[in-house]
Amino acid sequence: MTQLAETYACVPTAERGRGILISGSPKSNTILYTNGRSVIILNLDNPLDVSVYAEHAYPATVARFSPNGEWIASADVSGAVRIWGTRNEFVLKKEFKVLSGRIDDLQWSPDGMRIVACGEGKGKSFVRAFMDHSNFANCVRFSPDGSKFITVSSDKKGIIYDGKSAEKIGELSSEDGHKGSIYAVSWSPDGKQVLTVSADKSAKIWDISEDGNGKVKKTLTSPGSGGVEDMLVGCLWQNDHLVTVSLAGTISLFSATDLDKAPVLLSGHMKNVTSLVVLKNDPKVIVSCSYDGLIIKWIQGVGYSGRLQRKDNSQIKCLAAVEEEIVTSGFDNKIWRVPVHGDQCGDADSVDIGTQPKDLSLALLSPEIALVSTDSGVVILHGTKVVSTVNLGFTVTASAIAPDGMEAIIGGQDGKLHIYSITGDILKEEAVLEKHRGAVSVIRYSPDVSMFASGDLNREVVVWDRVSREVKLKNMLYHTARVNCLAWSPDSRMVATGSLDTCVIIYEVDKPASSRLTIKGAHLGGVYGLAFTDQYTVVSSGEDACVRVWRLTPQS
Amino acid sequence: MSFRGTNASSGMGVAELSKSTFLELQRKKVHRYVIFKIDENKKEVVVEKTGGPAESYEDFTAALPENDCRYAVYDFDFVTSENCQKSKIFFIAWSPAVSRIRAKMLYATSKDRFRRELDGIHYEIQATDPTEMDLEVLRDRAN
Repeated sequence: MTQLAETYACVPTAERGRGILISGSPKSNTILYTNGRSVIILNLDNPLDVSVYAEHAYPATVARFSPNGEWIASADVSGAVRIWGTRNEFVLKKEFKVLSGRIDDLQWSPDGMRIVACGEGKGKSFVRAFMDHSNFANCVRFSPDGSKFITVSSDKKGIIYDGKSAEKIGELSSEDGHKGSIYAVSWSPDGKQVLTVSADKSAKIWDISEDGNGKVKKTLTSPGSGGVEDMLVGCLWQNDHLVTVSLAGTISLFSATDLDKAPVLLSGHMKNVTSLVVLKNDPKVIVSCSYDGLIIKWIQGVGYSGRLQRKDNSQIKCLAAVEEEIVTSGFDNKIWRVPVHGDQCGDADSVDIGTQPKDLSLALLSPEIALVSTDSGVVILHGTKVVSTVNLGFTVTASAIAPDGMEAIIGGQDGKLHIYSITGDILKEEAVLEKHRGAVSVIRYSPDVSMFASGDLNREVVVWDRVSREVKLKNMLYHTARVNCLAWSPDSRMVATGSLDTCVIIYEVDKPASSRLTIKGAHLGGVYGLAFTDQYTVVSSGEDACVRVWRLTPQS
Repeated sequence: MSFRGTNASSGMGVAELSKSTFLELQRKKVHRYVIFKIDENKKEVVVEKTGGPAESYEDFTAALPENDCRYAVYDFDFVTSENCQKSKIFFIAWSPAVSRIRAKMLYATSKDRFRRELDGIHYEIQATDPTEMDLEVLRDRAN
């Protein structure tokens, strides 16, 4: 039996030049936002309490609670709106196609009986055009009592209108105003204040007086590196919480009652998390990396624990890590070795290996030895020195180096596994194993080094005995799409495999493959990273930018 | 000229023993499973192996060759949600992806003729690897 223990949620998808929409529950401190095709329901009081709704077939754009908090209406880029229940496994109430294009925003009527949606394409749209702004009007919001509404724009201004007559009654003062486009605005529950966020990386709280003019009460800034990623694109005033979201996806929670208190920062991945590593020194620290170059540390039981600040934020394709060092490769021809102290990365050393690295593994017992596989061969590195470059004559698709650095297994496009012994800088082919019927995608040695497991694009996984090179466990064919990743349990008794088919399957090496545990739908879009933190806990990551921790209860 | 149906047929006969063994499984319940093989010399479907009623599904799957095709009949006992003991007979066309093309062709074209002789099959499964004839699959089909 498997049980979901924790989810480390992804952050809202944000793009430059556009505000994002987050909405809050009328009853509790739960907020809604979208990432890819998922709608994320996050509890602000306990960020580990998060659920994901993954039923949209197209990227979701906005989600809102109904006034009574029982239903959520969510919309996507195809113009479809789905109304589903907040409880009871998100049972679908209704789905309809509202517009022929992307839906930009939707709103429930106060009685919960109607929904208005706006967006691109033919369909319902604004009836009145307001020409008071000189640039894009980014956001418009009615005050909670409906007496006023406010629009904010890329021209850095905010204008307040009478709710009934739509006459302009005032504007946000330009004294101490925003110095960049204002992307979002949110009213306080009592309708006397508004929160605005801007591309100038700050959030401001304005007091709205009776005559409809606004004056800055307080400016809030979050700690950040000061780059483009700190531009604020979304905000929400949810009871006591002031939520701001930056372009990089960092959610900052300020307290509405104590404005000077430092904000709580929540973060996560925005894109496909392609690798997961569990740091050996402290089994509870999980390092996850997405292809956009973001590396985040998580602590089991606590959640987000910090982002690794790298000196350059290039994209990452492969990642390997040991205690105090991370080795990465991206889409240039370089391998980077970065020493890690706490949350800070030291200066990275790089080595150019001449061609695109396809796969990377470290000899765990002597991590300065790294094996990098390229299109037609491998490169062996000692530290940042290229020790040898070998052209193997076949297309290499996966590789692994034994912990002692004396043996390497290279998998090819044709499904054959080639075993080489390594002496110094010479590779000698010892054996070729044929079993896979598709290109090999991943190879991993067991922690006790007595076995290794390999997975291929034909959805099959095989466990081999390392010494005899015989098949130890076969018929591991239960995935329905390519195998992306593989992990061994610390006691070498179990193998977990993750696939594009969104499932994680856990096999016990001593039992037949048919007695496996399956976790269906672990990550919408496919599972790309897997690791065991201890005997009975598996961590997985995937295309949905989330990281999930699963508890296995041993079968009787 | 008479045309026998529209499907391609390989002209394999069915041995008398095959039919009677199937009837024994169906009526007298003396076998848990029967595995049939095509004997190319005699040009007919013959019985290769049978399993006693005490044998399990694992014994049955172990009795099937990994690299060659077979036909099999399995008597599946289960308990329904209303707590009723039921038994259904499954016909399994075992045609692993790793077997030779010639074998797959032969078994595929002879299947219809053979199936017609076996009256009383409840469900048919075509399996190209062990995961497709997993016990879960049988359980799902029977319910």
